[in-house]
Amino acid sequence: MVRTQFSGPTEKLLGVAIMSRFWKWTLGSVVGLLVIAFAGLSFMAGSPKDVYGLVRYALPHMHRGKLHVGEDAPDVKLLALDGSSRFHLRERTGSRPLVVIFGSYT
Amino acid sequence: MVKIYSDYKDRADFLTVYVREAHPTDEWQMKSNVKEDVCYAQPKTLEQRVAIAKDFVERQKYPLPFGIDDMNNAADLAYSAWPERLYVIDERGHIAYAGGIGPFKYDPQEVRAWLTKRFGPVTQTSPTVTPSAPTGSAQPGGPATAALPAATPATADGTR
Repeated sequence: MVRTQFSGPTEKLLGVAIMSRFWKWTLGSVVGLLVIAFAGLSFMAGSPKDVYGLVRYALPHMHRGKLHVGEDAPDVKLLALDGSSRFHLRERTGSRPLVVIFGSYT
Repeated sequence: MVKIYSDYKDRADFLTVYVREAHPTDEWQMKSNVKEDVCYAQPKTLEQRVAIAKDFVERQKYPLPFGIDDMNNAADLAYSAWPERLYVIDERGHIAYAGGIGPFKYDPQEVRAWLTKRFGPVTQTSPTVTPSAPTGSAQPGGPATAALPAATPATADGTR
């Protein structure tokens, strides 16, 4: 008769203990890595609050950018600085290359 | 960008497009914004957006032509512009240069390289318009605290 591993009560307890230790180490390692990653990001970003900002506001935009060289530049309607007149971006193109700078104040 | 504008404005057109704020007080405000007194809530109306844009232009004595994105963020969405991004559109209306997303891949020197390749290097120094009070500084790990070029400190060679 062939005895299978962990077939007896003692072996079963031993198996449970090994698995328990395995999961504890796995969980501990994951938590440790997350803590290290968070600390590293906090240092890089400036503070833990900035890590939240990075994840909440910046990460969703990291891979945006579907326009490629050679494609038609989309036209958009913009407001002039006077707050009333409007113009199309493509009105500014045609005779010379147009450098467009997108940004905000903060 | 202001220096590049000064160098190439006779050969290329420039347009700055103000899009939604990157670090407003009610979202992801940065310490440098407070330090430099550039504190604004994210505009909820077009009038508020215009007011901030005017503040920027007046405080920085910003010389480049200016446009403001609508509240539907059409320009931001079409060009994936937020928080800051650079493009060159050629005479045929095609994208000739598409910069990366800022602040890490926002590189005015790539625009200068494009203009230099097209028009040659600038040999005569044009009068440089210097911002009165540069306020922004790109922080490691976070978007630039002042994305528009006049609010970005000049680099050592003064080419930014």
